[in-house]
Amino acid sequence: MDPSEVEFLAEKEHVKIVPNFTQDTIYLISGDIGPFVAGLPVCVPLWLAVNLKQRQKCRVVPPDWMTLEVLQEKKQAEMDSRFFTEMPSPFYIEITQLLLQCATDDIPRADEIRTLIKDIWDLRIAKLRSSVDVFIKSEESHAKLNFLTLMEINTVREFLTKGLDHMHQLKSNLNGGGMASNSQFL
Amino acid sequence: MAAYSVDLSTGNNYFDLNDILASQEKIPCIFNIAVEGLGYLDQSTPDPDIGVGTKLELPLWLAKYLHRDARGIVSVETPKTYREGYRQILAADPSVVDLHRLGPHFYLGGGKLALFNLPDIQDVLKTLLQTFQGRFRRIMDGSQNALHTDLTNQINMLDESERRLFAAGQRGLLEFQSWESRESEKLSTSSVVLNQRKRKWVGACRDSGD
Amino acid sequence: MLAEKALDLVRELQRSLDGTLPPYNEDKIRQVLEEMQTLFDQNKDKAHFAAEGQTHLLSAIQLRHAAIRRNKRCLLAYLYNRLEQIKKMRWEFSSVLPSDVKYNLCEQEVQWFNQYNRLLANYMRSLGENGGLDLTQDMKPPKALYVLVRCLVDHGEFETQDGTTILLKKNSQHYLMRAECEHLIRQGILEHIVQ
Repeated sequence: MDPSEVEFLAEKEHVKIVPNFTQDTIYLISGDIGPFVAGLPVCVPLWLAVNLKQRQKCRVVPPDWMTLEVLQEKKQAEMDSRFFTEMPSPFYIEITQLLLQCATDDIPRADEIRTLIKDIWDLRIAKLRSSVDVFIKSEESHAKLNFLTLMEINTVREFLTKGLDHMHQLKSNLNGGGMASNSQFL
Repeated sequence: MAAYSVDLSTGNNYFDLNDILASQEKIPCIFNIAVEGLGYLDQSTPDPDIGVGTKLELPLWLAKYLHRDARGIVSVETPKTYREGYRQILAADPSVVDLHRLGPHFYLGGGKLALFNLPDIQDVLKTLLQTFQGRFRRIMDGSQNALHTDLTNQINMLDESERRLFAAGQRGLLEFQSWESRESEKLSTSSVVLNQRKRKWVGACRDSGD
Repeated sequence: MLAEKALDLVRELQRSLDGTLPPYNEDKIRQVLEEMQTLFDQNKDKAHFAAEGQTHLLSAIQLRHAAIRRNKRCLLAYLYNRLEQIKKMRWEFSSVLPSDVKYNLCEQEVQWFNQYNRLLANYMRSLGENGGLDLTQDMKPPKALYVLVRCLVDHGEFETQDGTTILLKKNSQHYLMRAECEHLIRQGILEHIVQ
């Protein structure tokens, strides 16, 4: 998957906005949106929030978790745990990325939040790599990792599947499985 | 011909270019019987025939054919780079060995040795697996971390299949980074076009240089 | 060495599978076919004697046979991997191949491309209800209906869906429907400008 496709999925997540216009409910296949009343908070999909914000039709209310306190706590928990901790949103990095791009003025201390999210991401990716290495060395055929997000999985997907393919081939050589399949083509 | 899978990624496929190149790797052969009219295989002598006891390094695909025969036209030996000496080096610290020098298709070619009745084949195959496991971490870290440092040295020491793995890791990282910098929003010229142009350009330079 | 030329073909193609397609190497293919023919003829001669009991000839016959099969594998792999590459190009360039790419194909490959093209077009036309669906469009999720583009080359006139004609002149900028100009961007005629 391309990261932009992962982002597309993330854009279905809902965020809260305060519109500066009034309009009836919009009926869409993916669900009804609105009604919009100027000054009253309303939940809309991220893609719409970004679009409205770009046209200066609303103010974005940052998600509950997008504060320094919550994220510092998350970061600490991620450092303390051997395993992956649960993220406040399965699309934490995409939401942060999109909101910080278009709605910096609505998010207090945006720069520090960006840094914290990046720190958490780096911690988790480092953890992911160690787990992958342990997995390859252990010669197990399956493993279970909780709380990984789609974007995280996506960055190692091709590498990991190729690596496992390679392992599988070397192992089936040993078990004699490679012999039968190899011998056909020389 | 047996049924084959159309998935080319696993390297075990009739049409797979890498598999074809790997089966070109050489294996030492000794002729058990004289063969008429094959002297041209041995370029060191003008003799039109091959005599008993002649030693030749033959590509795997050819050796397999001569070895498979019930009368055993040739006997084979484990290629030097897979023998005990090299196995020990690889066991000591697989991550520092220049695998590409040992054989550009070290794993794929090594796996094909399973087709011959070599006495130490189990050890060879075990070495292949352990070597990959031992080198995996560095390949992963190299491909994921240091995008801006010079990776040529590390890449040069990887065998062809490791290089493909390395490239896959870099692709993942690059895609993420271009998403992060919002570069991926931009529609871009297809890489096929760019490479084709580059090729044309290089070609033009070469032509005018002559 | 036996089957050496066929291996050259494989090497040549493998080196350039980064997305380009080298010229169809007609000359080398002919040489490989000649080698196969020679091996086959030699075997035909010798098989006659071997059948009459001169079994010492059998080894050489088998070896030549192995070389024929090896040559065949290399040739087929060469052709097959080229087709895969050409198929990919249909998705990159849409239905018209740039002339410098087309120049590298042999006639049968051009034919194959046209047939694949027709198949795909028919399939895409059959999708949905309103005249089909172009699957090669929006390979990545689109962000906006219109995009700002700059011309990289003089391309000439271009008619948009609403019927107006614009001149795509080098370095001129236009605001076009994404769906209309995506292929031109992929082909390197236009450059997408992100604000």
